[in-house]
Amino acid sequence: MDPLDQVIHAPARLRIVATLAALPAGETLSFTRLQEILELTPGNLITHLRRLEEARYTQSEKNGNGTASCTSVALTPQGRAALNTYTDTLRELLGAL
Amino acid sequence: MSNEHDVEATTEADDSDELAPREAARLLARAEREARRQFDPSPPWITAFGGGVILVAYGALWLSVRGQHPYSGPSLGVVALVYAAVAVSIAVSAKVYRRATLGVEGPSVRQQRREGVAILASLVLGSPVLQGALYHYGAGDAIVYGVIPAAAPLIVVGTTVMGIAASKADRPQFSAALAVVAGGVVAAFAGPSGAWLAAGISLFVGVLVYALARARSQRAQAAKIRHGPT
Repeated sequence: MDPLDQVIHAPARLRIVATLAALPAGETLSFTRLQEILELTPGNLITHLRRLEEARYTQSEKNGNGTASCTSVALTPQGRAALNTYTDTLRELLGAL
Repeated sequence: MSNEHDVEATTEADDSDELAPREAARLLARAEREARRQFDPSPPWITAFGGGVILVAYGALWLSVRGQHPYSGPSLGVVALVYAAVAVSIAVSAKVYRRATLGVEGPSVRQQRREGVAILASLVLGSPVLQGALYHYGAGDAIVYGVIPAAAPLIVVGTTVMGIAASKADRPQFSAALAVVAGGVVAAFAGPSGAWLAAGISLFVGVLVYALARARSQRAQAAKIRHGPT
């Protein structure tokens, strides 16, 4: 049985990935809306997103300049596949318990 | 700097927290349920609310024309009440839609906007254009203010929604739209006052069936996440 993916297996990152996975593939979500849904502080969310981006599970894009700028976040195909694998592993583990 | 240090510390603490598989499954299910609720542009309750508005509006129209000999059409007061009810329903739906798509961008959101424009165009243009043309060519009140405004929106908007649902392979939406179109066909031959009753009932049933099908599909999705695909 594969071990649980430690990049996803942390409460905040699990919630980030699950939230982004609820959008259809190719959709992006603004940083502020993601923060509002998850009720995380901006700094905390940035740090968790950085970890997910390092694993290529999410990608961020900054649109516009200055005060009008907006950062959008999306789950990559690798991120979606990783969540599916994580969910399958979780089911196997729960079935074995 | 110290803020960044605190954030790193929080993240490390989050990482080191022992997350048991059962707790992780619960957290995942809750996050998925919450995300679906947040991003749902037309939740079943809003569809059911629209169904209630339809029942009241068409019921009022039918009561206002029942027993008219000769047929002269609904009273202005009832028409104003119906327009107000429809405006409230559209405003509530628009608010929920805006909330659901706030901060979301991409091909499916753009597609939903195009679908909305198509439905609105068929609703605004379909029946009034036919009514205008029939009035112009001297059709009677029973046709211009009875059969056409009751039946035509169901047939025109219903077929538009059927096309959209077919392109997305959305079976519940396709079936509901088909039921509405069938109701429109029945209404077209139910006489000027009976048309309002037939249209109201079929529209209400179609919308309610769609709301129930959506609610059932959402429950099935949640169960699939909890128990895995069957």
